[in-house]
Amino acid sequence: MLDALQQFTLILNGVTSTIAISIISFFIGILVGLPLSFLRVYGTRGVQILIDSFEKFFRGVPELVLMLMFYFGIGLYFPFPFKNAFFTVNFVLGLRSAANQSQIFRGAIRGIGDEQMVAAISLGLSKVQSVLYVMLPQVIVYSTPGLGSEYALLVKDSAYSFVIGVIDIMAYTDWVRKATLDTVTPYLIAAFLYILLTFPIATWLDKWGSMKKRQLGLERK
Amino acid sequence: MTETVMECRNLWKIYKDVVAVRDVSLQVREGEIKLIFGPSGSGKSTLLRCLAMLTPPSKGDVFLKGECLTKPGVDLNKARARIGFVFQHIYLFHHLTALGNVELALRHVLKMPKEEARKRAMEALAEVKMEKWANHYPVQLSGGQQQRVGIARALARKPDIILLDEPTSALDPELTGEVIDTLRDLAKKGTTMLIVSHEMPFAREVADEMIFFDAGTIVETGTPEHFFTNPTSERAKKFMMRLIKRTRRE
Repeated sequence: MLDALQQFTLILNGVTSTIAISIISFFIGILVGLPLSFLRVYGTRGVQILIDSFEKFFRGVPELVLMLMFYFGIGLYFPFPFKNAFFTVNFVLGLRSAANQSQIFRGAIRGIGDEQMVAAISLGLSKVQSVLYVMLPQVIVYSTPGLGSEYALLVKDSAYSFVIGVIDIMAYTDWVRKATLDTVTPYLIAAFLYILLTFPIATWLDKWGSMKKRQLGLERK
Repeated sequence: MTETVMECRNLWKIYKDVVAVRDVSLQVREGEIKLIFGPSGSGKSTLLRCLAMLTPPSKGDVFLKGECLTKPGVDLNKARARIGFVFQHIYLFHHLTALGNVELALRHVLKMPKEEARKRAMEALAEVKMEKWANHYPVQLSGGQQQRVGIARALARKPDIILLDEPTSALDPELTGEVIDTLRDLAKKGTTMLIVSHEMPFAREVADEMIFFDAGTIVETGTPEHFFTNPTSERAKKFMMRLIKRTRRE
């Protein structure tokens, strides 16, 4: 029989995967979500419809369904790269996060207002330059508090990934439960670790973002 | 005769069911200051935005130093780089300091090296007496100071003309003075300007010509003296009376 400390040390082995998935999918979310948000606001009607459909799909379908669909379903026809569970988890959570973040960023673009863009254009900057030098830095500051909760969501949703075989906190927790037949301690340990991974970063992003927004006078009037 | 800097011929701006600008033609020559005034909602701002090609006109032509900006294929970014625009609600970039606001276009539109851009930006800030505030963010400045930075941002590129859209009307009355002083300085230096404003004493002092604008079109033009003593049209007469009364109250 393993005591609580031994269980804890075992489950701790899963933390690396959980952190890796959270961070990788978070950055996929930013890298894909930012361009999407600007294309959604400034793009043509066709582009807007395309982005809307993408967002509806990834926000509407449960992440568990998405993971199983890409790993088993699409993975059947494209074993590379989808039969790699770690890839598929990051792919699914990354794009789901991109769909969420695109909406967060779009809210920021709206909140900052079209006038900033007009002022930039009036100086002779091109549309792309205006987005890059004027809108983007403000959008990032404006969105940071919202990104905190998005990050927390990713840490939590990464727990689904053990069903397709990623060895994360949840996978170790499940093994420990099976090995010890203890159905209480492993879950308490997992819960503790997830809280530890979400709250400090989410709170810090929220605090830093809100402070920066206040400092720059970016709050919605 | 001095060169015509900005001109529009038979300019129209039509939104779905509203005619905002109706068949307007005007010219601003080098070193000239023209002042547009008229009731709110009469299309003055729209006209200015059309001249700066921030809003495409529906019909008619805009010329900048003889170059037509309304024909297809014109590089509008290049044209806008030669036009300064000052907004009623200022629209400084929140995330940049006063210096950053003025520097941005110098760096990325005129492609100046960093040092040179900084030097030019500081000169522009000095022109509006804001050099001491160079490292302050917009939120740390008063409305009047913000608008002076807005003016510095518009003039740092040494544009051919500066268009000012009611530069003082969003400010508290006690803050308009410092902005008017700044504009007076620019006028003395011979800056070419087209100003939408209702600051009548200022208009009388600096304007070469005043343009009375109503219902999307030019109703009457003349010198300040003409408008202050004997405007011809009924509408201009009534509007001048109201303005002069208001100015006295203040």
